Amino acid sequence: MAGSRKLQKEQTRERIIAAALKVYSERGFSSPTTVIADEAQVSHGSIFVHFPTVESLFLCLLDGFSQDLKSELHSLVECGNDITKLLEKHLDILIKHEAFYKRLTTEAVYLPEEAKNTSFHIQSTVSIHFLQALEKEISAGEIKHIPFHMIFNTWLGLIHYYLLNGDFFAPNESVLTRYKNTLIECFMALIK
Amino acid sequence: MKTCISCGMPMNKAADFAKNDESKNYCIYCAREDGSMKSFEEAKASMTGFIIKTQGLSNEAAENAAFSAMRKLPGWQSNFSENTTTD
Repeated sequence: MAGSRKLQKEQTRERIIAAALKVYSERGFSSPTTVIADEAQVSHGSIFVHFPTVESLFLCLLDGFSQDLKSELHSLVECGNDITKLLEKHLDILIKHEAFYKRLTTEAVYLPEEAKNTSFHIQSTVSIHFLQALEKEISAGEIKHIPFHMIFNTWLGLIHYYLLNGDFFAPNESVLTRYKNTLIECFMALIK
Repeated sequence: MKTCISCGMPMNKAADFAKNDESKNYCIYCAREDGSMKSFEEAKASMTGFIIKTQGLSNEAAENAAFSAMRKLPGWQSNFSENTTTD
């Protein structure tokens, strides 16, 4: 019996996290916990049995999201020195998580410091592979002489600008899907 | 795929591992010249430098980001007393 109660508790916790991911993705991080409780089909109080504060729920959700995303981003290593392939794969991964990633980017300023640091950890995972892919071309002079962090931040800046203004660039559809080729071609033209 | 217990870097090939030794659980960047793993302070400085180089953060922000990343990495759990459980 104790085992089944524990399992049920675990399942409720997972349901709350999944609901929070959906609600935050669709409505932003200021969504009230009552909406999350409705989505998870649990009582409002149940959320606080599992997570003493809204911040602890958010950080737990973010931690899981970040681990999953980082695991996927590690696959960028397969691109080797092929920078175009790496950019394509990076966008493909972000497209899969576009709704929540967009919130994470566009609402970053309102997030607690730990969450902001988690965003930088996610970008660190990308930057490792970015650096490995570009290092050879940078030393061979095939890439413009620009500090590495500016190259990397220019790429992220492009992506994040289009995400931020997705409603104007691609209403009711994935902005990263629509602009994938344009973003890659322009970025390559900028750095080559 | 193994990831470095000290910095979280994925290690896919022998050259990623300390001393090219795939039985090690830390990477080439987290190893000293003799192959031993860097200390907490050494690893923190190295990670801070990496974040500055690749993302251009200020020294203070990069140090904070490195510290918060290390808090979650298996190699440094004993350095964060609040992570120590009693059960």
